[in-house]
Amino acid sequence: MSVLYAFVAAGLFGCGLYMVLSRHIVRMVLGLSLLTTAVNLALFQAGRIRTAQPPLIVEGAERLGESADPVPQALVLTAIVIGFALTVILAALTLRAWRSDGTLRSDELRSAQDLGDPLAPGPDVDH
Amino acid sequence: MIAILLATSALASAASLLLGRFLCRRGAGWLLALVPVGLFVGLLRFYGTIEAGHTVTERLAWAPSLGVELTLRLDGFAYLFCLLVTGVGALVVIYADAYLVERSPAERARFLALILFFMTAMLGTVLADNLLVLFLFWEATSLFSFLLIGFDVDSPSARRSALMALHVTAGGGLALLAAILLIGVTLGSYSLTDVTQRAPELARSPWIVPILAGVFIGAFTKSAQFPFHFWLPNAMQAPTPASAYLHSATMVKLGIYLLARFEPVIGAVPGGRDTLIAVAMVTMLVAAFQAVRAENHKTVLAYSTVASLGILVMLVGLDGPMASVATVGFLLAHALYKATLFFCAGTVIHATGLTKLRHMGGLWRFLPVTAVASVLASLSMAGLPPFLGFVSKEFLFEAQIQSSWDAVPMAVAVLVNAVMVGVAGVVTLRPFFMGRGRVLGVRHREVVGLLLGPMILALLGLIISLEPTWVDRAVLRPAVTAIYGQPVEVRAGLWHGVTPMLLLSAAVVGIGVLLFVYWVPIHYRLRTLTRLDRYDAEHAYEALQRRIRATARVIAGRLQQGDLRDHLGVIFTTAAAFVVWGLITAGQGLRLPTELGTMRAGPAALALVGLAGGLAATGARSLLAAMIATGLTGLVAALTFLLNGAPDLALTQFAVESLVVVLLTAALLALPLAAPTTRSRRARSRDAVLAAGLSVLLFAALLDMSAAPQHTVAAEFFGARSYVEAFGRNVVNVILVDFRGFDTLGETTVIALSAIIAWSLLGPRMPLDGGSGGARRSVFVLAFASPLFYWLLAALSMVALLRGHNEIGGGFVGGLIAALAFAIVALTHGVDRARTKLRCHPLTLAGFGLLLAVVSGLPGLVAYGDYLRHIWVELNVFGIHVKQGTTLLFDLGVYLAVLGTVLAFLFGLTREVES
Repeated sequence: MSVLYAFVAAGLFGCGLYMVLSRHIVRMVLGLSLLTTAVNLALFQAGRIRTAQPPLIVEGAERLGESADPVPQALVLTAIVIGFALTVILAALTLRAWRSDGTLRSDELRSAQDLGDPLAPGPDVDH
Repeated sequence: MIAILLATSALASAASLLLGRFLCRRGAGWLLALVPVGLFVGLLRFYGTIEAGHTVTERLAWAPSLGVELTLRLDGFAYLFCLLVTGVGALVVIYADAYLVERSPAERARFLALILFFMTAMLGTVLADNLLVLFLFWEATSLFSFLLIGFDVDSPSARRSALMALHVTAGGGLALLAAILLIGVTLGSYSLTDVTQRAPELARSPWIVPILAGVFIGAFTKSAQFPFHFWLPNAMQAPTPASAYLHSATMVKLGIYLLARFEPVIGAVPGGRDTLIAVAMVTMLVAAFQAVRAENHKTVLAYSTVASLGILVMLVGLDGPMASVATVGFLLAHALYKATLFFCAGTVIHATGLTKLRHMGGLWRFLPVTAVASVLASLSMAGLPPFLGFVSKEFLFEAQIQSSWDAVPMAVAVLVNAVMVGVAGVVTLRPFFMGRGRVLGVRHREVVGLLLGPMILALLGLIISLEPTWVDRAVLRPAVTAIYGQPVEVRAGLWHGVTPMLLLSAAVVGIGVLLFVYWVPIHYRLRTLTRLDRYDAEHAYEALQRRIRATARVIAGRLQQGDLRDHLGVIFTTAAAFVVWGLITAGQGLRLPTELGTMRAGPAALALVGLAGGLAATGARSLLAAMIATGLTGLVAALTFLLNGAPDLALTQFAVESLVVVLLTAALLALPLAAPTTRSRRARSRDAVLAAGLSVLLFAALLDMSAAPQHTVAAEFFGARSYVEAFGRNVVNVILVDFRGFDTLGETTVIALSAIIAWSLLGPRMPLDGGSGGARRSVFVLAFASPLFYWLLAALSMVALLRGHNEIGGGFVGGLIAALAFAIVALTHGVDRARTKLRCHPLTLAGFGLLLAVVSGLPGLVAYGDYLRHIWVELNVFGIHVKQGTTLLFDLGVYLAVLGTVLAFLFGLTREVES
């Protein structure tokens, strides 16, 4: 089972990477979302796929019994939310790019390069 | 006590940032001089201890395991520097307040604050015994020197000079850091006293050459020795008070300080002293040559400073007890007369606005007191009796005669000192007394502030020489003992009889007078040698800068063509290469899991569906199809979490996927949905190979990880303590809000910040007439059911929040579910309805949530001294036993922050679509 999950996570990682390398920025955003999902699945597997028992201390007990590893779960939970925020902000950026530049291709978005070199050469001085 | 002095200096400098403006606006900026005067008086209290030959050491352990201690040590040599720094600093502050009278009070205040900060950095450098602390303050002096040289921020030449100074001195500082680290590795200690005491051991170590090279480069860059001398004449762009303080009396002497402290090591290494003397002689000759060629008043003084620093380096390099005596004596004498001359130059520039020497003349009529001070200082510089300069020159010659190096250094010293005599005359006699009629009027007359500094320092040069006992006992003798190691018998008097030193001095004065008389023709003849300008160090520096920039342009042009895909391709390829290299060098092979576990058909099929979704997303032509496929993989991930014991994760992932579908659809509806492929077939196959390679690496890594023994230490720790200490049954939630609460606080901050970003990118610009989003015809079924769904989801979110500590739920899940409630209203009735339902700005909500989360940690800080240590309260409310803690506050804060953020996203994106 863990081999299958590793295979699926790696496969999704590859799909996400392939999409991130596209020149269409919306595909990049979707690819990043896929990457986030794949990495979350991979991180989750650090706890080893063994049991379906959630890490809840049962009523009456004082310690956690046999259950899934809680530590990777805690890490992945915030990762999911932050990955979501990242996806949405990138979508907002693509919307802005479309509105201001009228293109969705990354090689046609050149407004920063067209501003020129920020470090102008210094003048000659005699003293 | 020393630590208190240093801390007072730092605090007073910080306070002067605020106080300075207040004082300068009332023309009382000179009151800030009370800070250095106070420090000077405080230092005088150590007079007795230092005179008796003791050193004062104070130790503050910082990171003892790393060898970093804040150790401060006050011995005779450091005492000399401290008195100079504070004394001259006080006079500089008074002078600067009068000099900068034409500037705005804010600028004056900034200058004075920088001077005080610089003073603190200098004090720290000379008082530090730990080499790392010394390095810290050393770099601080470079930084403040940069800020002072570039004080005229609008002038390109000032900025260029400041950058040049920073490049050179900070580069030397890096070499010094390398040397310090090597010393720490070799000796096992970073203490300067250890270096001095264990000098033979250090000299025998295999790293001694890099260590000495680093120390030399650090000292030579700071003290403007050849070939790093070119920054000092350029630093004359600074306002003159800064030049008088930094570039003559204090900062440039730091290199000498360092070399003097390392002298036992330098002496023990063959060739160490020779290097110092050789570099010093070249510096002296180059500086003397350029001093004759220079046109500006301050540039002449700058080159003469370089030459004097060369003399000091040579004195450190010479062996014998008189060399140490001469070093200390010349340090003091030079500081006194050079600062005075800079003050006088400043007064002239301030009064006339002229900088070139040949335009000045007959100024004694307008600036009489300045002329007197200048004469006194020049006589000291020329080495004429009865001034301190004469005494120090005598020591210099005696040291040279007594040392093992004879003829060549002495000849160079005679020549250079003669040039210094000529310079003294040129700088004083020409502007003030000769050339009457060149200057017809001055803009500013002399004021007390401008005169106090030069007169005091010039008179000191005379008084100390005539009555040397106090200074000799308290300052000079202990300083010499500190650097030589043993007390030296010195007769500090004016007349010792007709000695060889006196004859040499006479020769120097004679040649110098000749130089002065024939100054103009020599000056013009040397200036015509413009061919030499092409080979000077400054041109080398400029060429180096150009070469670095050109190389950077070539590399950037090669690697960064402006196509994002190329950047990413480089990054991914490099990452893959590093991983493969790491795998190969790790040595051991890939571990495969031995027990495969039972294959469950349902979850297996689900996982494969997820993979199919990912593949569909890559091949989809339409963006909507790609988005749906991505959402499918997210749902599969959520189900996987659910089926493998992570219900919290499953809930979060379900909520996130739903929100992603809503929000991305809103975004995509504003974009063209048909997305043609943007890569050529070859590019696509290349990308496929790269992606496949990296995914194979990930697969191998995951297999290896699952085959490795699982470390359950953390899980057992949390599992054992979650209920007993943190009163929570949901271990995941307890980890998030209690054990690792600070991490979660950071992540909540990130989420709240993303709300600000999204709002500023999208923020609905509210139309004044109420907006077009108000009247929206909605689907009947949805309109009927939406209030029900809204209240259900809102209630569910509150339940999830409240039960999160003991059951499945929590702040993150609750916030996302609440956001879903608002999403339904926005989808059904439009953004405006949703906003009115919220009744406040989403950013306010997010900010309030973050504030709540931050505040929830404060009770723990107050009660236990640990921030974010949660406190639990047990109450009996109407017979019901209630136990709650600040974890609920923290979770509520997270809830509100997540809700506010997602609503900011939601309102922004749906508004974009509606407009």
